[in-house]
Amino acid sequence: MAGSDLRISEHPILGQTKEGREVTFTYDGRPLTGYEGEPIAAALRAAGVMVHRYTAKKHTPRGIFCAIGRCTDCVMIVDGEPNVRTCMTPLREGMKVQTQYGVSSRPEVTP
Amino acid sequence: MKRVDLIVIGAGPSGLSAAIEAAKTGMSVLVFDENARPGGQLFKQIHKFFGSKEHKAKIRGFVIGQQLLKEAEDAGVQVSLESTVIGIYPEREVVVRKYVETPAADGTDPQEPSSRHEAVFHYKADAILVATGASENMVMFDGWTLPGVMGAGAAQTLMNLHGVRPGKRVLMLGSGNVGLVVSFQLLQAGCQVAALVDAAPKIGGYGVHAAKVARCGVPFYLSHTIKKVEGTNHVTGVTIAEVDSHFQFIPGTEKHFDVDTVCVAVGLSPMSQLLKMAGCEMDNSGKGGGQIPVVDAAGQTSVPGIFAAGDVAGIEEASSAMIEGRMAGIRIAEYLGYETKEAGEAEFSKEEASLEGLRQGMFAPQNRGMKIEKTEEGIPISTNLLKHGFVADDEIGRFPGVTHKAGIHPVMECTQNIPCNPCQDACAKHCIHIGLNITALPAVEEGSTCIGCGMCVASCSGQAIFLVNEHTKEGCAEVTLPYEFLPLPKAGDEGFGMSRSGKPVCRAKVVKVRTSKAFDHTALLTIEVPEDMAMKARFYRSRLECTGGDSVIAQSRIKGAEVSQNGATGDRPCESKAAAESEKREEGAAI
Ligand SMILES: Cc1cc2nc3c(=O)[nH]c(=O)nc-3n(C[C@H](O)[C@H](O)[C@H](O)COP(=O)(O)OP(=O)(O)OC[C@H]3O[C@@H](n4cnc5c(N)ncnc54)[C@H](O)[C@@H]3O)c2cc1C
Ligand code: SF4
Ligand code: SF4
Ligand code: FES
Repeated sequence: MAGSDLRISEHPILGQTKEGREVTFTYDGRPLTGYEGEPIAAALRAAGVMVHRYTAKKHTPRGIFCAIGRCTDCVMIVDGEPNVRTCMTPLREGMKVQTQYGVSSRPEVTP
Repeated sequence: MKRVDLIVIGAGPSGLSAAIEAAKTGMSVLVFDENARPGGQLFKQIHKFFGSKEHKAKIRGFVIGQQLLKEAEDAGVQVSLESTVIGIYPEREVVVRKYVETPAADGTDPQEPSSRHEAVFHYKADAILVATGASENMVMFDGWTLPGVMGAGAAQTLMNLHGVRPGKRVLMLGSGNVGLVVSFQLLQAGCQVAALVDAAPKIGGYGVHAAKVARCGVPFYLSHTIKKVEGTNHVTGVTIAEVDSHFQFIPGTEKHFDVDTVCVAVGLSPMSQLLKMAGCEMDNSGKGGGQIPVVDAAGQTSVPGIFAAGDVAGIEEASSAMIEGRMAGIRIAEYLGYETKEAGEAEFSKEEASLEGLRQGMFAPQNRGMKIEKTEEGIPISTNLLKHGFVADDEIGRFPGVTHKAGIHPVMECTQNIPCNPCQDACAKHCIHIGLNITALPAVEEGSTCIGCGMCVASCSGQAIFLVNEHTKEGCAEVTLPYEFLPLPKAGDEGFGMSRSGKPVCRAKVVKVRTSKAFDHTALLTIEVPEDMAMKARFYRSRLECTGGDSVIAQSRIKGAEVSQNGATGDRPCESKAAAESEKREEGAAI
């Protein structure tokens, strides 16, 4: 379910949250759901995912930091392409989202 | 290369306002914004704005944004989204990076999604307005890069634009308006706010914003900052500690909080790189919150044809950004000959006066960093408000909005000189007086008669107005308060009256809940409390909220509360003297 306890179903000011079509995508191979068109990062946060990538040199985790495409902390590998800012990229059906290690999708490749 | 009369960079409140004014004179205007939707910061602002009618006071930020978009559309402004301006070159050439959709290779396989590519485009204009806004500042502390540490603006984007809570339990660093407003919004979104922390000894934002957070029970830790954020893969806790006057940690003052999110709201910096790149003369004095371009009253920089408006030309607020944008739009139209000097001048001075009206009061740009001890009226300001986020019981009585009277009457707990007056306009019975100087403190008009309509309560941008009837029947009083949370209590519900500091002080019964289109999502709760709590109970919590989970009540020693938890509800809330007695001790300890 795309709904989770982090989703705001009804807001005192904004009312009912408008949700797009529910879509399935994979996160490191695991199927997750989210709403079409929402930023990938929002769908991941709602699903409880916090780590988006590990830095190249020190392998420290990074997650959503600015949410408006400025800091590059949230970049992941999306459909094979690295360095995709997930806070700015709309979610689509069938997307393949992977944790980024340095610039690759596999931890052992990083120097 | 595409040519237009005016290119605006940034579709925030300033950029859109400028584009509207320019387009109205017949200019061709193209606005670029890197986001998927226009509006800049405005669409994240869900609170009612300050100012006066001409500044769209008491309208919520995102609604102002919708009005602005409609106006832009009507004026024929073109907005190109997901378009990042990466450079301004000589002869006003603008280079834009955009996403373009390319269908799948053969365009037939639905399993193969189309891909998004970045491509670079060139444009040219006779004038350019840079309205790129600001970016959030960061501070480095142990653990600042851990997932779960984020800008307050990021938290706001997640919850108010995408409907996702940033976390369950949050610590906020920064007590400026952004930190205060976002803390309240986190509570509205259903998150817990564990603490609001600032290294400065005084709260930086509006007292009314602080007071709404404090009465929800959020503790303020001034002269404190983050020592360490804990967690290996993501935030699991945070330790703060007190700092001395040189901002050095004082050993032994550490406090720990279990949180999953830390929000940082330590100021904004103008995003002025494009202007610098274009060769505009810059001001590095730091007075605008960072590096800002040197501009004249119309926003014209040292490079002919390049203008700047909004946060990029000095951090202020959305209301001023909109006016600056309009002023720049008018001047640009004059500059390119689309508007006569005379016509432009008249409009320009109207906007200028409106801007001047906003730049007044204790928080005005010229008063930044000044120590203010008295209000314009000569009343000593509340020191408790600056330290703890709420006006103390022994301070509140000295402000002109707080009076005693038989029958229902408004109590304005608005104690700082801020540019705001919707309360005065809201009251058809003229009970509230501010006068022509919009920063004056609201005062109760002598001899006026309040009919309890509630318009003032719902119109108050600071949620600082309460209706009080100090004696309804033997031992009872009624307090009407603004309520912007879910679930909405129902008449007949029983719970607790909370003090300005967010501590339960008495039992309370909801006697009336009013909602109306005119109140714009602010519900009015009327609670019945013991008579001696009429000037102390300022918030309501249901019994469930108080007994479940992180119980505030469980930790308190309130007698009335224990009685009601046990279900012995024989006595009416307003007769519960024991609660009142215990409250006095609690409050005494809190201050
Ligand atoms: C939490 C918070 C609470 C606030 N509360 C209030 C309030 O109560 N009242 C009030 O009046 N103000 C408030 N403000 C301030 C207000 O939001 C800003 O002052 C205002 O939005 C500034 O407007 P602007 O048009 O200058 O910039 P912005 O609104 O920041 O818009 C700038 C736009 O330009 C875009 N942009 C930047 N660079 C580029 C580029 N290179 N290419 C393309 N596009 C670009 C940005 O993405 C953005 O959309 C608040 C701000 C915050 C963060
Ligand atoms: S409740 Fe109505 S009549 Fe009374 S002060 Fe407020 S606006 Fe005026
Ligand atoms: S009491 Fe009046 S002046 Fe003060 S915040 Fe409310 S509306 Fe503004
Ligand atoms: S969170 Fe900063 S770029 Fe996405």
